[in-house]
Amino acid sequence: MAVANPVAPGAGHVESAHSEAAHGHVPTYAETLANNRLGLWLFFISEAFLFGGLLAVRFYLWGGTRPEVSQFIGLLVTSVLLLSSISMYTAEAALENGNRRLFLTLLLVTAFLGLVFLGGVMIFEWGLFPSLYEGHLTPWGDKYGAVVFLMTGMHAIHVISGIIFILIVWNLGRKGHFSPSRKWGVESAAIYWHYVDLVWIFFYPAIYLIGTAVTH
Amino acid sequence: MADNEQRMSLLSIGLVRGLVGQFAGILLGFALVVLIRALAGYDEVWSTEPAWVVGAILGALGFLIAIGAMSDWFSWWRGGETPFVHGPRHPGRPTWARYFDVDYNHKVIGIQYGVTGLIMLCIGGSFAVIFRSELARSGLQFLQPATYNTFIGMHGWAALFGIFIGIGGMANYLVPLMIGADDMAFPRLNSFAFWINVPAIVLLLISLYYTWDAGWTVYPPLSLKGSPGFQLVFWSIFLLGFSSILGSLNLVATMLRMRSPGMSLFRMPIFCWAMMATSLIQLTATQLIAMSFLMLSLAREATLAMPFFVPVLNAAGVNIGGDPTLFQHTFWFYSHPAVYVWVLPGLGIISELLPVFARKPLFGYRWIAISSLAIALVGFLVWGHHMFTSAYSPNLRVWFMVSTLLVAVPTGVKFFSWLGTIWGGKLSFPTPMLFTLGAISVFLLGGLSGPVLATVATDLHLQDTYFVIGHFHATIFGGFVFPFFAAIYYWFPKITGRMYNEQLGKLHFWLMLPAFWLMSVGQMSVGVAGMRRRIVDYDPLLGGMTRFNLGFVEIVQILITISAFVIAFSILIMIYNLFHSAEVGRVAGANPWRSRSPEWQIPSPIPEQSYPRPLHVVGEPYDYGLATSPRFVAGDD
Amino acid sequence: MQRSSTDKRHFIIAGVLVVVVSLALYALLYVALPLPLQASTQAATIDWVFQAHMILLSVLFALVVVFMMYAVVVFRRKDGDSSEGEHFEGNTPLEIAWTVLPLIAVVIFGYIGVTSLRTVTAAQENEVVVDVEGFQWAWAFTYPDTGAASADLVLPVNQPARMEMTSRDVIHSFWVPEFRVKQDAVPGQTTVLRFTPTVEGEYTLVCAELCGLTHYNMIAKVKIVSQEEYAQWQQVQLAAMGKTAATAGSIDVAQGDAPAVDN
Ligand code: HEA
Ligand code: HEA
Ligand code: CUA
Ligand SMILES: [Cu+2]
Repeated sequence: MAVANPVAPGAGHVESAHSEAAHGHVPTYAETLANNRLGLWLFFISEAFLFGGLLAVRFYLWGGTRPEVSQFIGLLVTSVLLLSSISMYTAEAALENGNRRLFLTLLLVTAFLGLVFLGGVMIFEWGLFPSLYEGHLTPWGDKYGAVVFLMTGMHAIHVISGIIFILIVWNLGRKGHFSPSRKWGVESAAIYWHYVDLVWIFFYPAIYLIGTAVTH
Repeated sequence: MADNEQRMSLLSIGLVRGLVGQFAGILLGFALVVLIRALAGYDEVWSTEPAWVVGAILGALGFLIAIGAMSDWFSWWRGGETPFVHGPRHPGRPTWARYFDVDYNHKVIGIQYGVTGLIMLCIGGSFAVIFRSELARSGLQFLQPATYNTFIGMHGWAALFGIFIGIGGMANYLVPLMIGADDMAFPRLNSFAFWINVPAIVLLLISLYYTWDAGWTVYPPLSLKGSPGFQLVFWSIFLLGFSSILGSLNLVATMLRMRSPGMSLFRMPIFCWAMMATSLIQLTATQLIAMSFLMLSLAREATLAMPFFVPVLNAAGVNIGGDPTLFQHTFWFYSHPAVYVWVLPGLGIISELLPVFARKPLFGYRWIAISSLAIALVGFLVWGHHMFTSAYSPNLRVWFMVSTLLVAVPTGVKFFSWLGTIWGGKLSFPTPMLFTLGAISVFLLGGLSGPVLATVATDLHLQDTYFVIGHFHATIFGGFVFPFFAAIYYWFPKITGRMYNEQLGKLHFWLMLPAFWLMSVGQMSVGVAGMRRRIVDYDPLLGGMTRFNLGFVEIVQILITISAFVIAFSILIMIYNLFHSAEVGRVAGANPWRSRSPEWQIPSPIPEQSYPRPLHVVGEPYDYGLATSPRFVAGDD
Repeated sequence: MQRSSTDKRHFIIAGVLVVVVSLALYALLYVALPLPLQASTQAATIDWVFQAHMILLSVLFALVVVFMMYAVVVFRRKDGDSSEGEHFEGNTPLEIAWTVLPLIAVVIFGYIGVTSLRTVTAAQENEVVVDVEGFQWAWAFTYPDTGAASADLVLPVNQPARMEMTSRDVIHSFWVPEFRVKQDAVPGQTTVLRFTPTVEGEYTLVCAELCGLTHYNMIAKVKIVSQEEYAQWQQVQLAAMGKTAATAGSIDVAQGDAPAVDN
């Protein structure tokens, strides 16, 4: 039992500065990066329970039915969101290749596509602008409106925060932050955006495809 | 001039600044709602409930911004440098001021959590003492029914805040020390997660201005009617949940990433394993209560009236609305796993202290570690046992009964391993050990009353009676309160450098243990006899149909009330002891308990930088009684 | 002088103590946890299961606490002794044993649980059906067979009864402690509770789910009477309502606003 474990090599653990006042071990960028990645994934695991809960609510209340919704709009906004995932991916790749202009442009494209998605949901699903489109669902009418608003609303909050995140990253990138080797901000914004997309891939069929449409 | 200076110094205290910020945020929220309603053309521009909702959210944000919990992030967003500051952020201030401000040192945050938790426990307990005085006799004494109903919910939630925050205290202070880390993986997030609790507490306390009479479980449709106080509670809990999620995320990352060289997962002190299981529950299940309470908030008439939980009939008489039982599912999907959040850390403390005071290795270390994970896992599959009398399918009843009974197995492993640990040891009984042994006896009572409730047939009689009340006070006291007190006494010398007063500690224990036993068994007793919970007045004869026709219910109720006062008094003794001993206690030295855990190998109180040199772990955590087993080698390399 | 901790004598003494303490504890629990009068067939089953649990509880509690207290007394450190305890880190067969034995207990009690649940909830022939409606903060009963309505619940003795329950506002819960069984009444749904009263007399029906201001006082009188008295009571009740049994069949639930939805 008393055999000394060899210290794990590498990983910045070979610490020699023993100044009494300062911090003994200043984490390296690699260590911080690994921590951050883990933290983000833990956050996603946590959020998965939220979205899973929302899906459970949908299946509990609707069972094999769903509201009458426009399939065309659904397909459209979904495609826009998927497209934005691609542009986000390409933006990150552009940064890695050192093409900062393309990187910045694609970030803006992604944010724009996110806004289009959001606008589509707000106009067509929520009927917020009746002059443009007369929606037939309300949050208070019945379980269909209530659940649609709950699910899309919670997703929209994530889309909005994702757009803000992307814009912050864009602003930092504009000021010259990030490099191919130091781009945690970009990476996290990208993963977050893909995650939000992924959630929609589950929400879309749950709202639009599964079950028989009922009119009431 | 002097006046002005004083005001300046008051605002330089973070907590004060935060509260001012919260107040400003609430006002802003009110104004925003008025503005929006005016613009939207409502006749009545003021509407209390939406104002409180927006005020609650902006108030919390105001608090966090004003105290500075988000300053570094804002700075990063603008592209500023945010070098990590360790040590006091405002050098030259008195030390106490650090505890009222944003500070990134996990030891400071741990104390912040711990003390806040104790305060909340006392607030929650005080409500119990008040309504217990009402219950001492049948008939209405001094509490109105509406006040009584509000107080039980307040008692429940305030005390539960105490638990969540108290656990945060133990975890934040101990886990990094125990794994030989300098700090948590995300110190900024850590401070943020602590400070969210304070606006949450403020909202909870404001809710007392209203009556909200649905208990801590706030079942709809009841919680959808009545005062805006409910909204305050929903958003208070929402913020608390936020803290739980971020705090547990941080703990998991810390344990996975920050261990010192040689500290393999199975060499972590057992408390860390308990926190690992706890954190995994908190990280995931908490989302469900956040969702449930958000849905409640949106379902109320004064907000969006979304019909998740109430039936709505269409012209044909078909229900196109929701179902009250849905809430119970989502609520308990969180709240049952949450009860294991309340106990797993406490059980970890028990496992942690027994070897030290028995001078023996922890019996079956791996089994205990894995049993925590097993409890956490099975805990996700049993939520329906709170709903045996609700409207749901009979098949589900069977499933939830069997899965619930299964939890007894990993819990039993812990008990038997504890016996194995003290068997053949050299036991000594200072206050922490007394509280540990007391905790075992109390939790055993609570745990064994669980299967009686888990069996549907008997639960049909016992559900919503004082038997349940007795069951969960015993599990909570045995699984949290007693171990928490054990932990406070045990680590007190490490935190302050001084020893608590042993006589007063023993007095506390010997008052609290018998009083608690009386209280808990008394509650079970009247519950079996037919006393419902959540009633301000009761029939002392319970219809005269019990085996004892002596009005025994009232006698037992008086005993419970007396016990409550004795418990409260004993806690006051502890608080005095802690404050007094921190000043005048005998100097304790680095390792008064001769523990092998890393935190005891460094000076007490612990300096700003816990481990100036990395700790190299070479031995098992609990090799007591084996002189040849070193735990650490000096970390010079 | 100090015996090894694995000495058989320790276990014999502790074992005897466990038996003694279990018995004492069971007696104590029997006194301390007084069940109400047993006034339904369901109560008989439930009380039996309850007592089985009390035995389990006594034995397990005695087992753990006796061994703990035995260790506390026998293995306490003497003054001035600073030596360490015996060194053993665990024992896998033992761990397996105390995983498997509770598992067996769980299986047995799970079986008891399932069978007793069946017995307690089984449908019977010849049930008296009562429509029960809870509302803040009282109960209303109607008898669909005759159309009689009442604020008291009157049932014939020894005849199975079926409550068809719903609620007008929030969740309530139907409970007569002497009958043991309990069931929520939920708005928008119909829930069912079955019991067979066996003892004539007057009982109190209480609401067991917090339902607002005077939840504590949401009670109703329950009368269990003989078959003759029951028939008579029905007549009186109908007469008071201005109906006769013959026309009663066409009269539906008195409370018109009760949502009769089932989902
Ligand atoms: C700290 C929290 C805590 C803990 C740890 C537990 C643990 C358990 N609880 Fe409890 N419970 C609560 C807190 C807790 N509970 C609360 C707060 C409520 C009420 C909520 C409300 O409505 O307000 C509640 C309510 C509650 C109910 C619903 C009652 C009702 O409303 O009708 C049920 C039913 O199954 C139940 C069961 C159990 C079981 C089986 C365990 C098990 O985990 C216990 C396992 C432990 C043991 C069994 C003892 C040790 C084991 C052995 C010695 C091995 C051998 C044992 C056997 C073979 C049996 N609990
Ligand atoms: C952490 C959890 C926790 C803790 C510690 C306690 C502690 C206590 N509880 Fe609580 N209780 C709950 C959680 C808890 N409870 C919950 C969740 C409910 C359910 C609520 C619901 O139904 O919705 C409940 C319900 C509940 C009821 C049932 C109410 C009802 O259904 O009508 C009762 C009744 O006896 C009770 C009693 C007590 C008592 C006497 C204490 C005492 O042990 C408290 C002693 C502690 C103190 C008093 C604080 C410290 C002392 C001081 C600061 C001294 C100064 C103060 C004074 C002298 C006033 N509790
Ligand atoms: Cu109805 Cu309580
Ligand atoms: Cu539970």
